[in-house]
Amino acid sequence: MALLTGWAAFVVGVATIACIYGLLTLGLNVHYGYTGLLNFGHVAFFAAGAYAAAILTMPPPSTVTNASYTVGFNLPMPWGFPVSLAAATLVGGALAALIGATSIRLGTHYLAIATFALAGVFSDVLVNEAWLTNGSFGMNSVPKPGQAALGPDRWQLAYLAFSLLSLLAVYLLVERVLDAPFGRLLKGVRESEDAAKMLGKNTTLVKLKSFVIGGMIAGFAGGVYAHYIGSVVTAQFVPQVTFTVWAAMLLGGAASNTGAVVGAVLVMTFEESTRFITTVYDWMQATLPDALSGLLPAIFGPLPNNPSFIPSMRFVIVGLLFVLVVRYRAEGLLGDPAEIEALGEEEGSE
Amino acid sequence: MGLDTFLQAVVSGLIEGSVIAVGAVGLTLSYGVTRFINFAYGEFLTYGAYLTVFLAGGLFGVSLPLPAAAVVATVVVGALGVAVSRTFFEPISDRGALPLLITSIGVSFILRNLLQGWVGVDARQLPIPLLRRQDYFGLFRLTHLELGVIAASVVTMLTIHLLLQRTMLGKRMRATSGNRSLAKTAGIDTTSVIRQTWFLSAAAGALAGVLYAVLFSPFRPGVGFEYLIVIFAATLLGGIGRPYGAMLGAFCIGLAMNFGSTYLSANYTRAYAFLILVGVLLLKPEGIRGGEF
Repeated sequence: MALLTGWAAFVVGVATIACIYGLLTLGLNVHYGYTGLLNFGHVAFFAAGAYAAAILTMPPPSTVTNASYTVGFNLPMPWGFPVSLAAATLVGGALAALIGATSIRLGTHYLAIATFALAGVFSDVLVNEAWLTNGSFGMNSVPKPGQAALGPDRWQLAYLAFSLLSLLAVYLLVERVLDAPFGRLLKGVRESEDAAKMLGKNTTLVKLKSFVIGGMIAGFAGGVYAHYIGSVVTAQFVPQVTFTVWAAMLLGGAASNTGAVVGAVLVMTFEESTRFITTVYDWMQATLPDALSGLLPAIFGPLPNNPSFIPSMRFVIVGLLFVLVVRYRAEGLLGDPAEIEALGEEEGSE
Repeated sequence: MGLDTFLQAVVSGLIEGSVIAVGAVGLTLSYGVTRFINFAYGEFLTYGAYLTVFLAGGLFGVSLPLPAAAVVATVVVGALGVAVSRTFFEPISDRGALPLLITSIGVSFILRNLLQGWVGVDARQLPIPLLRRQDYFGLFRLTHLELGVIAASVVTMLTIHLLLQRTMLGKRMRATSGNRSLAKTAGIDTTSVIRQTWFLSAAAGALAGVLYAVLFSPFRPGVGFEYLIVIFAATLLGGIGRPYGAMLGAFCIGLAMNFGSTYLSANYTRAYAFLILVGVLLLKPEGIRGGEF
């Protein structure tokens, strides 16, 4: 098989990452869309899952250069793969249970701050506890299951297929669970905690369950991510991840699972495409007739010439997405305005 | 680890507490009248620090002395705060707290990345000399700059106290914070009060950023966003929306962070701030200082 090149490689890569972010967004949607929990620390569950998968499958430290980690269980592929993903899911859920147990009782705004800060503390732990995580150098030999047998190209396609199936499975599972009485209970708690309490529901427990379910989905996404990229580094797990997932959820429409997936695909396609801006620029410059060759530099010349310009503008646009969706289309592309109202969007400030 | 270490930790805690106090008061003032937690607040710190560097470093043609640069930066960022509020928050101010909160996340992304796209991610620092710490009474050591930071913070606290208690603006702010519709009924132009509060809030944030930059150079465009956790901790500890509580909370957090890094591990300063916060939230969610301001 020919090497995947050009557009094909790009599309396969974006599609795989979009599936992983789709999983993350589905998880966040359980928290916010269905239960009204403001989780601003989603990246922590993603990181917990990724690190769990890495620690279970990394080769022992003695065989890796620059290793300061002390445990690598070296589970053999391919059978270690499902074990690793299961562990990632459980660890994501366990961290959610831990964070939820301390913070879930807090009011919306306090919960937003508590989750945001706990995720910050968790990332400090990942950076500092090098015996476990190899610090900021990262764990860079996470096995890609089946790559040796399939070869790099077919493996890319196979992993995309696996990611798509995972996304579909989690999507169906979430739809099923949230269609059941449990889903109505979550929405009941979202709309009126007092009413749910009146009916004898333990609302704290309900919220905690929702938090753990979303955390498990994010942990699973972390496992899928670790085995796709093949390395797990602290710099990958920054607050931007949390808010990119938020942007995807808001764009697609909070409380809509289809919206969550569509939002993730759109946001990730956009983020990955911005890599090509310089390529497109060069191409335009090369194709323009000579008479117009001064045009592009005249337009874009005054822009700062530093390597972080385009990556930064990407996040400026993600920020604008927050602002514009909230202001002009709170239900996103596929959401239901009634659901947004139930989230307390239009309650009025007085 | 004797008395000496202990006293030095107290002093360091008070110094950092002074910086946090300025930041926390600014955040809590804006919460008082807008009723949402502004996640874009950290960017005011960042912009304050960067603008001071640029003004002092002659980027705009003149290089001002550091104190003048700091004052100009504080005022400019205050105006930026008003502009941000009018552009992003006022149009949706009748929609409740949640849309405002989510919008503030977007605004923080916009501001931080515009700056980063412009100046890059390289670390910057203020043009300040390295100073030797002077001995005071044989008990603890401070540099003149650290003394200056404490003095600037105390002056800011006093100014805000006088402003709230002795001026018409302070009265209007307190009235708007207590009950906005009642204040409106009483003939207070609440929109204008809110804008003035935004100015004060952003200016205090910028000043906190400058003080932070004086103590902890060098810094990058993420500096304010990263310090937000510490400021949140102080603000919530003091009971959000309460300036005096925020001041008290700030010194508790400053001390906790410095005791933690002296006696436990210097890698987890944010975690100490945060653990205290979680403890307080669970035991006494309204913060350590109840009552209106």
